[in-house]
Amino acid sequence: MIPRIESGIPGFDELTSSNNGTGGIPENTATLIYGPPKTGKTIFTNQFTYKGLINEEPCLYITTDNGYKQFKTNMDEFNWPIEKFLDSNTLYLIDTISNVSKGKPSQSESYIPSYINNPTDIMVKVGSGVSYISKNNHRFRSIIDSATTLLAYNENMLIIRVLKAYLMRVNEAGGTPIIVYTQESADSIVETMLKSMVDNIIRLDGENLYIEAMKGIGKHSSPYKMSGSGITL
Amino acid sequence: MINIQSGIPGFDQLTVSELAEGGIPEKSTTLIYGPPKTGKSIFCNQFSYSGLSNHEPCLYVTTDNGIKQVQRDMMDFQWLIQNYIQDQTIYFIDGISHLSGAKFESKNNIVSSSVSNPADLMVKVGLGTRNVYKSSNHFRSILDSLNTLFAFNPNQMVIRILKAYLRRITEAGGTGLIAYTEGITDPRTEKELISLFNNTIRLDGKYINIESDYSDFNEVQNFESAYTITDNGIVVNENNF
Repeated sequence: MIPRIESGIPGFDELTSSNNGTGGIPENTATLIYGPPKTGKTIFTNQFTYKGLINEEPCLYITTDNGYKQFKTNMDEFNWPIEKFLDSNTLYLIDTISNVSKGKPSQSESYIPSYINNPTDIMVKVGSGVSYISKNNHRFRSIIDSATTLLAYNENMLIIRVLKAYLMRVNEAGGTPIIVYTQESADSIVETMLKSMVDNIIRLDGENLYIEAMKGIGKHSSPYKMSGSGITL
Repeated sequence: MINIQSGIPGFDQLTVSELAEGGIPEKSTTLIYGPPKTGKSIFCNQFSYSGLSNHEPCLYVTTDNGIKQVQRDMMDFQWLIQNYIQDQTIYFIDGISHLSGAKFESKNNIVSSSVSNPADLMVKVGLGTRNVYKSSNHFRSILDSLNTLFAFNPNQMVIRILKAYLRRITEAGGTGLIAYTEGITDPRTEKELISLFNNTIRLDGKYINIESDYSDFNEVQNFESAYTITDNGIVVNENNF
């Protein structure tokens, strides 16, 4: 039996429930969330992150699309306040983009700046982030939002290797990683490579959520909508 | 022609012909390919486990997942390999665990290598082949998969490693099964890749397509059927085709 963790998305755990009744994201497996722009991929992952935090599962969050300020605003919009989790160091944020824009907070134990165009630095910080989080927790969630921006700033195969190393590290430490990717933002070789690296594939197209692959269950799909409280299936 | 049992229910019945009983041609090389998430790794593991439970040793080169993960993936289907690790019927070369940051515990039959170091990988394959060959002059050899090798090396380098690998295991009497995700290299490389094998198995999520080149008989055999992935692994269901 594959243990699963609550997604936090109403309807999702029911959709993914296996024969023995439990649903959600298979624990300690890797998931790719992809789809066209503006279909709710970030909302999905943020909702997943927040659910974990309130369940006392820490989160290693690598943000490449939105700097800290924008990330916090996005969370606040859905009434998912994150400040206290940053203060308690259960949310560990690697911010690779605020240096490019403006308004980054000062570095703290769990707010770590990095650079989108420096994958080596990102990997070093992911390494210490994983050690930091897994020191006291045998289960945690981890997000990269998104691979698209990493691919845009760097050579594609280099990023594939970085993501592979990222998944290996999180997996070894007992975490459950999610990678967000905008469909067709890189060539088909990269996209296929991404799909082959993960255990579970979820596609959002604006109307339907498709489980294209998931460990232990077959293909499933359901319509979804986005509201002030996030995604609902 | 001698074929060995695949371990996949329905597969051996499907591949019966006037030239051979069904199964996978012994001492040949097979590429298993198809889109992501169609069951290629499951097929490999099932094939490997089937051999192990018939006392056929296995040389398993894992490059996508560390050994721990392979063991866990096999456990999902109740294919328990701990005993075969202990009695050294299975020989693992792990080309990826070094990326995970965890300490690697080497044993006689569990060695670490690196997908980004083809020379080392080939040395380890040489050692592994000799080790497995010592205990049996026929064995199964899995390489799962070429994907990570392609991500870490230039395409032509991977083709060269693969040629050397295939030569080594077939010379030693091994039956090779190598996994590859369709579409992760350019069409030219993919074509060249496919041409290196005696047999190909393509999985597309619904259908399995087998092509065997019996060059001794100057004949190519094709087989096709539907398949499903169950809690017990892959099942080829001829009737549903």
